[in-house]
Amino acid sequence: MAADAGTDGGGVVDPGRAPAVEISGVTKVFPGGLEAIAPLTLTLEPGRTTALVGPSGCGKSTLLRLIAGLDEPTDGSLLIAGAAPAAVAERGQLAVAFQDPSLLPWRTVRGNIALPLSLTRAPIDAEAIDHLITLVGLDGFGHVRPAALSGGMRQRAAIARALVTRPRLLLLDEPFGAVDELTRQDLVAELPPLWRQRGTTTVLVTHSIAEAARIADRIIVFSPRPARIVADVAVDLPHPRTPTVSRSTAFLSVIDRVTDALARSRGNDHASRP
Amino acid sequence: MTETVPAPARVSVAGQRVRTAVVIVVLLIAWEVVARLITGSFVLAAPSEVAVSLVQNAGLLTRALLVTGQSAVAGFVLGNLAAIALASVAVLLPRTERSVTAVALVVFCLPLVATGPVLRVVLGPGDAPQVVLAALAVYYTTMISLLVGLRAAPSGWFDVVRSYGRGKVSALRYIRARASLPYLIAGLQIAVPAAFLGAMVGEFTGAESGLGVLTIRASRDLDIQLTWALATVATVVSVIAYVVIGAIGRRFVTETPPIILAPARPRASPGRRTRSALWTAGVVLVVIVVLWWGGIIVTGLNPFFARTPIDVALILSGAEDGGAVRDELLSALAETAALAVPGYLAGLAAGAGAAMLVVLVPQVAGITMPLAIALRAVPIVTTAPLVVLLLGRGTLGGITLVAIMVFFPTFIACLYGLRQAPGQALDVLRSYAAPGRTQLARVRIPAMLPAFFAAARMSVPAAVLAVTVVEWIATGTGIGSLMALAASRSGYDTLAGAVVLVTALSAVGYAAIGAIESRVLRVYAPEQQT
Repeated sequence: MAADAGTDGGGVVDPGRAPAVEISGVTKVFPGGLEAIAPLTLTLEPGRTTALVGPSGCGKSTLLRLIAGLDEPTDGSLLIAGAAPAAVAERGQLAVAFQDPSLLPWRTVRGNIALPLSLTRAPIDAEAIDHLITLVGLDGFGHVRPAALSGGMRQRAAIARALVTRPRLLLLDEPFGAVDELTRQDLVAELPPLWRQRGTTTVLVTHSIAEAARIADRIIVFSPRPARIVADVAVDLPHPRTPTVSRSTAFLSVIDRVTDALARSRGNDHASRP
Repeated sequence: MTETVPAPARVSVAGQRVRTAVVIVVLLIAWEVVARLITGSFVLAAPSEVAVSLVQNAGLLTRALLVTGQSAVAGFVLGNLAAIALASVAVLLPRTERSVTAVALVVFCLPLVATGPVLRVVLGPGDAPQVVLAALAVYYTTMISLLVGLRAAPSGWFDVVRSYGRGKVSALRYIRARASLPYLIAGLQIAVPAAFLGAMVGEFTGAESGLGVLTIRASRDLDIQLTWALATVATVVSVIAYVVIGAIGRRFVTETPPIILAPARPRASPGRRTRSALWTAGVVLVVIVVLWWGGIIVTGLNPFFARTPIDVALILSGAEDGGAVRDELLSALAETAALAVPGYLAGLAAGAGAAMLVVLVPQVAGITMPLAIALRAVPIVTTAPLVVLLLGRGTLGGITLVAIMVFFPTFIACLYGLRQAPGQALDVLRSYAAPGRTQLARVRIPAMLPAFFAAARMSVPAAVLAVTVVEWIATGTGIGSLMALAASRSGYDTLAGAVVLVTALSAVGYAAIGAIESRVLRVYAPEQQT
């Protein structure tokens, strides 16, 4: 675990610019021999949103944890704008919205959203927090503790918490998993413009192909474990991706290509078995 | 029979309180009747007589309570601060945890009966020995509670802290400290009676005033009413403090304070288990010797009563006196074992049995649980003179006191464990209309085992404390009496040898129960064996 002391500052992300994530030859083998990620080489362009799609348990979330510096790769190198993830994390320049909201039960929604500001020793900006609370649709719940919220509301609070430090690199792990369908549509419409406008490099892990196509500039499809890239689909559609866009042929063709790739990866997997 | 689950949640809190109050009143009436029937036997004082004695001696009791209370509060504060410091060190430097907890356990196993007189000699006639004994009596349980609490947070919370590049200090500040609060409160609640107990035992060693002094005096004078009045005062004050701490806790903490049974089993991979246990034992030995010898050197203790580890090794090996002291110690230990072992086993059996009974007869559960929790607040050793009054100064009284000391924590732990039974597993049995006793045998008892063993482990030092105190103030046999005699006759060879033997045997007993626990839980609760 990283110490609380600051770093030497070498290779730190320029606060004004979004970072690229360079993954080269990264593998992850867990103690006990479980191979989560086969050698993986991938560059995520600065300021763009990349969706990672693949079957359950394929290693997407593991990759996200590696990018966040929460786990170390077994082999290979992973650099964020040329710096180690831990160094970027120490500057408070990345943020993760976890699959499990992980809100502290003794803090209110507002207190939970403010936590990263305390952790990074940034001033508490009440106005920015209010704005985020409105943005994720939790108006009137700022003073409420997580126990009184529904699963979807907690997840929205966790998303607001991830946005509060204006991270340069935003990592989202199934952020809308527990959110009800209508709210999910609202969030998918409102949140991406925010991080796009801020120039944030975003990585989104999701099960939903449609969600990936609505949000991402690029969709990477993984095989079942150990994760290998089976398709890399560019989503060249204009933003904002309104319902009209999502009924277009181009949008549907993206969905088809991703679906095919997923099916192929499963088929190949079966075929390769004796 | 389909409904065997005690469901206190369905009974309102107020209803439960009324029921508890009714039970207490009924017990008081029964007590009064029995005492009136056997009046003149110098055994039992009726509640009315105790009340009269309380009023008559109000001034005396108040002054004594203030003296003892002061020592208890000072010891409570010091001991708990030490517990917080030790637990924080263990969490911030995980490598030290096993050694820190092991050394803390060994120090906790020091027999108060011997440390009391030694502290009296070292610290003089003031209240310092009482304060130190009170601190020694509380720090271990609080530390264990805290260690569990400081870890009682899901890994996701730590991921949040780490994803902002923050480390252990931030995790302690933003997560662990707050997450451990309910556990700290639970620990502090249990520490209240323990602090009282420590202060009173300290007073037994020759203080000039206080509840402990009065207890010894009343016991000697066969003042039955005053003896019962003193036990009542100690109990009532402890219960009040227990309730007040709980109430303060509820103001700050919304979570239910957990019931802490014992430290989590230390983690070690199977291959490394033996090596790591040996390593810890070695470290503990070195730390103990350094503390012991260093303490003698730093305090410049008079060699007339100070004994170094080498001195004790010589005494126990019989190199200097042909083994006279050692043989005396061993025969005293045999007498002690004759009280301690049956009492310990009886207490465990009675505690587990009573808990099962309560589960099979759910009607009484709603009443028993709050009563049992309240009884944790009773400084049990202060009831020693009462048990002696009731059962005499012989073997039976000694065994009973040890059993009582073990009974309550075991009962509470087992009741808690039985309640932990997985609901779905019980539902499966119920869907086949399995009777209550089948549910008990197949699901509840296996679910109870971790709690039972945790209580069994923590009861080892408690049983040693009980047996040495009862030997000292009542039976006049065994190692407890020998230590007290040695202290009064300046037999410091005997005293030092006894302290080392008793401490070592307590620690070994604790470890032995832990070993049995590991084997049993490997079968019945593998998830506990991380």
